[in-house]
Amino acid sequence: MTSLWPRLEPLLPRVEKPARYIGCEDGACTDIYKPDATSWLLTYPDTYEIGLPNQGLQILYELLNERPDAFAERSYAPWTDMEAQMRSNGLPLFSVDTHRPAEEFDILAFNLSAELVYTNVLNCIDLAGLAVRASQRGDADPLIGAGGHCAYNPEPLTDFIDFFVMGDGEEVIAEITTTVGEWRKSGKPPGSRENVLRALTQIAGVYVPSMYEATYDGTKLVGVQPKHPDVPVSVQKRTVADLADWPYPRNQLVPLTEVVHDRLNVEIFRGCTRGCRFCQAGMITRPVRERPASQVREMVSKGLERTGYDEVSLTSLSTADFSNIEEVVTGTIDEPGTCGRVSVSLPSLRVDAFTVGVAAQVSRARRTGLTFAPEAGSWRMRQIINKLVTEEDLYEAVRSAYSQGWHRMKLYFLTGLPSEMDEDTLAIADLAENCVAIGQEYTKKASVTVSLGGFVPKPHTPFQWFGQNESAELRRKVELLRERLRRNKRVHLKWHAPEASTAEGITSRGDRRVGRVIEHVWRHGGTFQEWSEHFDLTLWEEAMRASELDIEWYVHRHRDENEVLPWDHIHAGLHKDFLWQDWQDALAGFGLEDCRWTPCYDCGACTEYGIEHVVASPVPPNGGSQGTGQDLAIGHVVPVDLRPRAEVGGT
Amino acid sequence: MRLRIRFSKMGKVRFVGHRDVARIVERALRRCGVPITYSEGFSPRVRMSFGLALPTCYESEAEYLDVPLSPDSIVDGQIACIGWGQGKLHNEQQMQIALSEALPTGFDVVALTVEPKGGGSLQETVVTCGWKFDILGAVAREVEDAIERALAGSEIETERKKKNELVRENIRYGVYDLRMDGESERGPIVIAELSAKPRVIRPSELVDVLAPGAEMGIARRTHQWIEHEGQWQEPLTPSKSPQLKEYS
Ligand code: SF4
Repeated sequence: MTSLWPRLEPLLPRVEKPARYIGCEDGACTDIYKPDATSWLLTYPDTYEIGLPNQGLQILYELLNERPDAFAERSYAPWTDMEAQMRSNGLPLFSVDTHRPAEEFDILAFNLSAELVYTNVLNCIDLAGLAVRASQRGDADPLIGAGGHCAYNPEPLTDFIDFFVMGDGEEVIAEITTTVGEWRKSGKPPGSRENVLRALTQIAGVYVPSMYEATYDGTKLVGVQPKHPDVPVSVQKRTVADLADWPYPRNQLVPLTEVVHDRLNVEIFRGCTRGCRFCQAGMITRPVRERPASQVREMVSKGLERTGYDEVSLTSLSTADFSNIEEVVTGTIDEPGTCGRVSVSLPSLRVDAFTVGVAAQVSRARRTGLTFAPEAGSWRMRQIINKLVTEEDLYEAVRSAYSQGWHRMKLYFLTGLPSEMDEDTLAIADLAENCVAIGQEYTKKASVTVSLGGFVPKPHTPFQWFGQNESAELRRKVELLRERLRRNKRVHLKWHAPEASTAEGITSRGDRRVGRVIEHVWRHGGTFQEWSEHFDLTLWEEAMRASELDIEWYVHRHRDENEVLPWDHIHAGLHKDFLWQDWQDALAGFGLEDCRWTPCYDCGACTEYGIEHVVASPVPPNGGSQGTGQDLAIGHVVPVDLRPRAEVGGT
Repeated sequence: MRLRIRFSKMGKVRFVGHRDVARIVERALRRCGVPITYSEGFSPRVRMSFGLALPTCYESEAEYLDVPLSPDSIVDGQIACIGWGQGKLHNEQQMQIALSEALPTGFDVVALTVEPKGGGSLQETVVTCGWKFDILGAVAREVEDAIERALAGSEIETERKKKNELVRENIRYGVYDLRMDGESERGPIVIAELSAKPRVIRPSELVDVLAPGAEMGIARRTHQWIEHEGQWQEPLTPSKSPQLKEYS
């Protein structure tokens, strides 16, 4: 085993934030080298600060290192200054644990949590000294794998990635380790790469794109079919049935330099069935699997004691929905070891589940930032997206917070949603102003930050057929709201660059042909595209032109029911006709209740795989149906049409 | 009462910045159950004060930290732990071991005392720092000559960047000791004692004087000297030698 440390060390004084590259975290495994084991380099294609806290990566890291037949190290995308040093000094991508070169690992596995990191994936493969195109890599080169939410539309990356993993990784990594281990033992002779890839197709949840062929009729995709009879026609996601079996990470990594989410993070449940129609995470991670409250408490206590953190975040897609949330928060704060000095942060709060009780418990310790996500300004719009929280729900949550001593909070909204009209966008301002008014009953300092994101339709959601707003239209809506809120000093508006939404749109619903675009952008220096200082839409536009692909066709066009979608052969359990029906219901303004507390709709996520919800409480928090106390089935009085984009546009 | 702690920072962790070190130490104090105190206000902070900040990329055998203890925390001359250490009574030596263990590899507590509060803050009282550093690829003889010339004259003119401007300064006043001490595989090793007042003179400023155009290898702070009743002394003498990773 080679350590690159002696060559790396002299470069570090020349870069900003050298601590990104040293490893040394508490919880890191550095004496894990097992010469005969299958080696994984788990790579996060963004900076150390963003990648280190990633829970998925840390879970796999621990699980692999517990195995006698595997070991794992970690790597992160070097920042541009470090990349320049590495390239000019001939230093390849390395692990931060023992500073081994990436090329010495059997598998380079990427975590794909956002589409805009795709060019960084290529950059990392290239820095590793490997050919970026899978077809040009040699027999003994590491296999390049990828998983994470974006893997559910793997097609744009099929030119570069050898295998994808769909769904929860806890179980499938063992099977991959065994299969790759045999290849390793064979000495990786000529021709063996093809064989190991073929063998990987036999593992449920694994997709090997080179074993499939995409056919087109003109620009239209006809289908993605297996090339061999033993290769499955469709790839089914993996789901762990019970989170209680997986109390990981047990030894969360404690970084030596500040990272995002720099605190203890404990996952309290996985999956969400609130059914928000824009939310890919909610669709692909079904069903809901709660961790037993006692296990949460134990992970929190042990974690705080081991790390010395004074903050814990209870993570999930909608934390206030956890059956025992108040009990867990209270127990954590009363834990003697913390001396009453621990703060509990609850990311992803549903307003209809955030009660004054929870607010009171949380505020007993240091108050953390509060973010609510009403997502849309008007009730009409929230019915369309199935975010069934009423204005009153929001005001009540906001009142709970202000009454418990908070001065400010963040409200998250999307714009560019299906059938959205200007009055829907402007309703965001009304909501925000009303929230401030409530706050002012409690404190003069009351303020609200509105964070506005441009909506990008995602695969495996009911909105996968929707034509995304053009960036000019998104910008117009941002301006509209900005103008409306200009004189209000208590409402701060923040927004994401609408141009980035276009690039995200190209990659999120792209097909295999988009691989050329990603490669073009990367070859023209387009890395770190999710960083506004590096993002450049013209690069993407040029790349689309050079690849003879049409942005309008890929991003802004509405799809119809019969269109073959590039990810049709990838299954998250959800039946396509369920999603289509939900899309029709959306347009009709029909809401759909949460199946965790009401009968099943047979979306497929449980029924296809013989699993079910693991939820302790039979009723929603705060009582009532979805907490709204409303009859949701009536829908809106006037059904809305999905208006053709030409009418919507201001461009 | 307060804890006065001397710790080392060696190896890979030399790349961790000063503010990050504060966070690392804070977590270690909590893990050990040190009876720390907090500032008042909306977001209370753990009370602790460091000695002179160490530049990122430098190693050290002599970092200092004062941690005020809560008034009722000394029982029978021992430290009564709180939080995760609740129920434990530690003497100085036990606390030193516990803290060392709670800190990441590369950090090591080399001395620890419980003492009354008072005296000037570490930052104010440190007068000079001892340093040891090597110069990449420099020729030992030439460095030796340069040292001789520098010490013989009344001027050691250096250049450094200050807010993007080049500042020239004669730092002869602040050079108390300067000599060669053998060679590492990277280059000649230099030992220096440099003043910390009115500003901290860094070894890197000397590199251009001793070997024009050369780059500094690894620098390590070896001492921080304070003036006490007319005498120079170290705030704490190490009770054990740090896990020194010699230049290799
Ligand atoms: S299969 Fe039924 S219970 Fe399971 S997530 Fe889908 S609708 Fe809900």
